[in-house]
Amino acid sequence: MAKIVVLGAGIAGHTAAAHLRRKLSKDHEVLVVSPNRNYQWVPSNIWVGIGRMKSKEVIFPLEPLYKRKGIGYKQAKAISFHPEGDSSETKPYILVEGVFGDNLGKQEKVTYDYLINATGPKLAFDMTEGLLPATNKVYSVCTYDHAEHASDALHKLIDQLKKSDKKAKILIGTGHAKATCQGAAFEYILNVEKELQKFGVRDKAEITWISNEYELGDFGMDGMLMEYNGFNMKSKDMVEMIFEDRGIKWILGAGVTKVEDGVVHYENLEGEYKTESFDFGMLIPAFSGHGFQAYDKDGQNITEKLFRGFMVVDADYTPKPYEEWTVQDWPETYQNPSYKNIFAPGIAFAPPHTISKPRKSKNGTEIFPSPPRTGMPSGITAKLVADNIIDSIKAGKESLHHKGSLGNMGAACIASAGYGMTQGSGVSITTYPIVPDYKKYPNTGGRDIKKTFGDIGLAGHWVKLALHYAFIYKAKMKPFWWLIPE
Amino acid sequence: MTQRISNAQRSKMQNPLIQFFKFFYLNIRILKIVAGGHGGTRK
Ligand SMILES: Cc1cc2nc3c(=O)[nH]c(=O)nc-3n(C[C@H](O)[C@H](O)[C@H](O)COP(=O)(O)OP(=O)(O)OC[C@H]3O[C@@H](n4cnc5c(N)ncnc54)[C@H](O)[C@@H]3O)c2cc1C
Repeated sequence: MAKIVVLGAGIAGHTAAAHLRRKLSKDHEVLVVSPNRNYQWVPSNIWVGIGRMKSKEVIFPLEPLYKRKGIGYKQAKAISFHPEGDSSETKPYILVEGVFGDNLGKQEKVTYDYLINATGPKLAFDMTEGLLPATNKVYSVCTYDHAEHASDALHKLIDQLKKSDKKAKILIGTGHAKATCQGAAFEYILNVEKELQKFGVRDKAEITWISNEYELGDFGMDGMLMEYNGFNMKSKDMVEMIFEDRGIKWILGAGVTKVEDGVVHYENLEGEYKTESFDFGMLIPAFSGHGFQAYDKDGQNITEKLFRGFMVVDADYTPKPYEEWTVQDWPETYQNPSYKNIFAPGIAFAPPHTISKPRKSKNGTEIFPSPPRTGMPSGITAKLVADNIIDSIKAGKESLHHKGSLGNMGAACIASAGYGMTQGSGVSITTYPIVPDYKKYPNTGGRDIKKTFGDIGLAGHWVKLALHYAFIYKAKMKPFWWLIPE
Repeated sequence: MTQRISNAQRSKMQNPLIQFFKFFYLNIRILKIVAGGHGGTRK
């Protein structure tokens, strides 16, 4: 009998737990440890953030589902990793702390045979002074409750604009020099613009995109060349076309350093220190590791064997210049090299380097996007980790046949560009591979142009809405859920 | 604001009939890319 502990119940952790439970007999235990009692379909937080969805439509409670399916659940957070056990516990374990009810603050050792660390990122608002959601007129859509606050503030502003001649400034983008998730901010800015149109106040608002990207459409993926309407177009040109058409201004190469009441301070790649005022802002924070510590059986600190911010996996972390980066640097199995029963799919693994070209300001400040790891690769990497664990348990020896490098995996980004069954819009972009392979596809920006395409229109909105319902169905593990691909 | 998308293009983008077919086309194309497999990159 094997015990598999999954830390985190986001897209990666929940996907892994669901597949493990479906494919392993009940002799084996699957236990999920996660502080948030709800599953949330994060991509739809964009619509919560404009008030078109209620947060209850993007979440559901995990415990009743896990009870029904035979998955153990602890509402707790991991504190430290003990992959060799300690003087009193021979098995590897995780020290966890309860976060709710009678277990609040109570610590316990949770032993495991296999560990899946799917704790995603820490939303590091503290890395930018003054960037706390719902303070200083700045909001976030990274979680459903943040998104609800954003929606309330946005609608308050819309009401004020409707009732007065007031003009407002809206600022949306990234809130740190090395933030990622530009795609989410891109969706949000287009949705906010559409809402202002809908309420008849668009002409009263100046909307500005602020980002650490060097060019529009970089998205932390070094931009892309894509097939659009029968010709090859750069993502830069596509986003520029959309922004100009919607009257959205942009500030690029901006590393936000500080937020005060309605004012952001940033440094740009020219080395200039500037400010921008706003009445409503949404800035994506830096994503960091959770700061976990790890100890060996003698209590010695071995954190560097497990973590470099995020978790160390089978990537090539040798520092090298951008020109020498290859897809082979990226992990294939998400296994920790020191402790082979520990895996880290989704956002929890430490990438070997960024995907976008690193750039420094004239003052030496690094300003460029960190690599995004969106929902789809998070689900795919979680499933392959689960499959390797299942195979290893069944074979009685390590089996790592399932592989999925971001350099050999496609992704689809269906960015909502406005909500509505007839008035909505979506910008659909697919990319293959996620990490550009400049050797294999030297003439098309490192991407297979047959599989990298863009489309704009109402159908994109319907696709995004269909994905919302399909993935919540899948996450609820309803009949034949496993037929829906990650 | 600079009109970068022509009215003709825009009406195609919002035409429910055209977009209805586009919806299936997009789903199939996306599914082929995403569910079309993934793997390693090393020998
Ligand atoms: C607003 C927004 C919109 C997005 N839109 C899209 C989109 O349209 N398409 C797309 O593909 N991707 C999108 N993404 C990205 C996508 O949401 C992420 O890639 C995905 O959520 C990552 O999954 P994960 O499981 O690795 O991490 P998370 O979803 O962050 O899950 C981490 C889990 O770990 C838990 N946890 C945290 N700390 C601990 C601890 N100490 N111990 C135990 N558990 C812990 C958390 O509670 C959570 O359950 C979007 C992201 C945002 C923020």
